[in-house]
Amino acid sequence: MRDKADERLDQLFAAARAERIDTAALEEHFETRLLARIREQRSESIPWYALAWRMLPAFAVVAAAITIGTFTFAPTRSNDLFAAISGDQDETASSSYLIGE
Amino acid sequence: MDCAASEISDESLISAIRTGNDAAFAQLVGKYKRRVFGLAARFARDNDELDDICQNVFIKVYEHLPSFRNDAPFEHWLTRVAVRTCHDALRSRRHEKNNVRLDDRAFEIQDKAEKARDEARQAREILKFALSRLTPNERLVITLMELEGLTVKETAAATDWSEANVKVRAHRARQALKRIVEEHNER
Repeated sequence: MRDKADERLDQLFAAARAERIDTAALEEHFETRLLARIREQRSESIPWYALAWRMLPAFAVVAAAITIGTFTFAPTRSNDLFAAISGDQDETASSSYLIGE
Repeated sequence: MDCAASEISDESLISAIRTGNDAAFAQLVGKYKRRVFGLAARFARDNDELDDICQNVFIKVYEHLPSFRNDAPFEHWLTRVAVRTCHDALRSRRHEKNNVRLDDRAFEIQDKAEKARDEARQAREILKFALSRLTPNERLVITLMELEGLTVKETAAATDWSEANVKVRAHRARQALKRIVEEHNER
């Protein structure tokens, strides 16, 4: 059901549609301004968290190298459990003697 | 639309842009900037905001062009990006309605020769005021359908809303506009 308000609204829409907003002045050199902004964004320094994220593969390589190095160059453990315990006991006894206990 | 730019197809320009050709991007912008300016001008408050919205639209296009698939016309995709950017701009200024006032002095008629032009200007100002009182969703849908002349289907495609949703929002927006205009007429 259309009423007077609908007609008034349609008039307003028609008036607004008839108006073609002149943006010619703003469109001048728009591409130049836009590309300048894009270049500026490109050259902006990378934030630290983005840098940290990008460095993640490098961190992973370092961690892997440390892990491999630890297993490769670690001193071989003695299979003689008693020797290991007695060695520790000797050390404890000598340190106790030196400090006078 | 620039004649030289229109000769080169969008696909060719997009392919060139993907290889890092900024000149091709400038050509693409030149080809479609009038369309984007025309749409954004319906939502922007002033020239600064209009320029800002248009720059944001094309920056989004530049950034997301690698994900653009050529299965739909570039212009449709661009319209969707532009509509979303305008919607974002509307949502970012929710308190605008408190700042916008109808300035009756603006409607004083200087002489009879300007009467018709002033009436048209008054109508546009009333509509601008009324639109500023709507929610961003209502304003978006009514602008696309009533001022840009998009169909329900086109509006749904541009906004990613369902057609039923578009119809409901358009109806509500129209009712809200009618109330605002009636209130204004009573004053």
